[in-house]
Amino acid sequence: MKGTKLKVTKSVEKTIVNFLEKGLDKKCFDIVLIPLKVPAGDSFAWVLVQDKSLLADANPLPPVMTVQGAKALSSVARKGKMSKRIAVVMRPCEIRAVIELSKSNQIDLENILLISIDCPGALPLKNYIENPKESENKFNEILRSAQNDKGTQNDIQWGNESTRPICQVCDKFTGTDIGACQSDLHIGILGVKDGNISLIPNSKKGEDILNEMSFPVEKLSNNWENKVKELVKVRKEKREKLQEELKPQIVGLDNLLETFSTCINCQNCQNVCPVCYCRQCYFESEKMKLTSDDYLMRAESKGGLVFPPDALLFHIGRMTHMSLSCIGCGACEDACPMSIKVAQIFSFVGDKSQEVFNYTPGKSIEDALPLKVFEEDEFHTVET
Amino acid sequence: MEKEFTPKIVGFCCNWCTYAAADLAGTSKLKMPSSLAVIRVMCSSRIDPTLILRAFLRGADGVLLAGCHPGDCHYEKGNYYARRRFVLLKSVVETLGLDSERLQLSWIGASEGPRFQQVVTKFTEKIKKMGPNPMLEKISL
Repeated sequence: MKGTKLKVTKSVEKTIVNFLEKGLDKKCFDIVLIPLKVPAGDSFAWVLVQDKSLLADANPLPPVMTVQGAKALSSVARKGKMSKRIAVVMRPCEIRAVIELSKSNQIDLENILLISIDCPGALPLKNYIENPKESENKFNEILRSAQNDKGTQNDIQWGNESTRPICQVCDKFTGTDIGACQSDLHIGILGVKDGNISLIPNSKKGEDILNEMSFPVEKLSNNWENKVKELVKVRKEKREKLQEELKPQIVGLDNLLETFSTCINCQNCQNVCPVCYCRQCYFESEKMKLTSDDYLMRAESKGGLVFPPDALLFHIGRMTHMSLSCIGCGACEDACPMSIKVAQIFSFVGDKSQEVFNYTPGKSIEDALPLKVFEEDEFHTVET
Repeated sequence: MEKEFTPKIVGFCCNWCTYAAADLAGTSKLKMPSSLAVIRVMCSSRIDPTLILRAFLRGADGVLLAGCHPGDCHYEKGNYYARRRFVLLKSVVETLGLDSERLQLSWIGASEGPRFQQVVTKFTEKIKKMGPNPMLEKISL
């Protein structure tokens, strides 16, 4: 792996922010999209930062994922090419969602520099809101454990039980091919024992930026790669285990109905989903609003009808729309007021359908969305 | 005496091939079960998987999506897209442990009246063996 070593000063976050400041100074990019602490001090918001002094409050790795980064970026870049060069600092799952959105023309990537960071996971939003201070300490401990790594199994607290369940089983928490994440520049903070972090270019754009900022690109030690691969292996096993445990709870009509019986139809999961790509949602359309006679007839034939109706249609329907692009970011589960395991269920289904099409969302801009292309001679087993 | 189960099958048929085949089967007076409720659509690719799912969850005993044979699509490549969407739907439904055998994709050309008869008859027989869709009874569907 080739890249640049960056000496950590004060903290990893500060070092990354310094790097961004330098990029702004050298006019390698004109503006930065990054999470900033809100004035109330107990949450984070995405801010397009032009004024460098604002970066003092920036946190490239906040303890929670308030708004999924791809959602924020698509609000900026959905109407075409940006006139300024923008650097975007995100978690790998956010970058993967950006790649997916760019494939349905909802983010124009020209003039955008995507920077990903090794992700220690995020804390559940609900836990964070209850006690922001304590949560921040907890998260810092998790994050810092990468620097205290002595090489034994328990040194690294990344993805421990205080992080969101979906983060605990995430095997794509990193950039480059290893994390199936096509950012331009990846910041490696794992397995770095000598007080450095690594900047790893992952595209021509990334290489150019390092050149422009006159960083030498040299061969890096294998520490980062080895540590990441070791963790990926552990996570893959955990993911499989979690899905095996999930199956008996959700598979089958009665289990499914039970799982989603607490759904209050707020559709938060849909609203926060970064890869829900339809401009107009079918489930919000007039097509879902039927006459009273329709409902009365259903109630009559079944003996009763639950309201609001069609909760299961909403969830499975959504799976048939976005499961191929589901990057397992967990935004839906954070947003569910009824604590339904939406992210775990959706990423389980997503993994399976992605396997059918041999497709990994976010991996490469070159891989077309499976529903946008076809082969003439394929999938004959579904034909009768 | 228990009433014999007559399946209710929703059939999304493309205007150019399968609907024409259905017409031909009718004018040729080919006998077949009256289980299929035909919905005429301009192309099999018009069908979002959600529409099939909606019929299925509402209690249709079977759902048939039928269009022109690959290579014969009136719009050149609609049915190829339809096939991919159907594959995705099947995968999701199977992963969730629902009865994906109740969903069928068939290609029936405009001149294939007898094939239309055969597909409807066979699918109806298959569903008859499976029995009614349990979803029909569920008050939350």
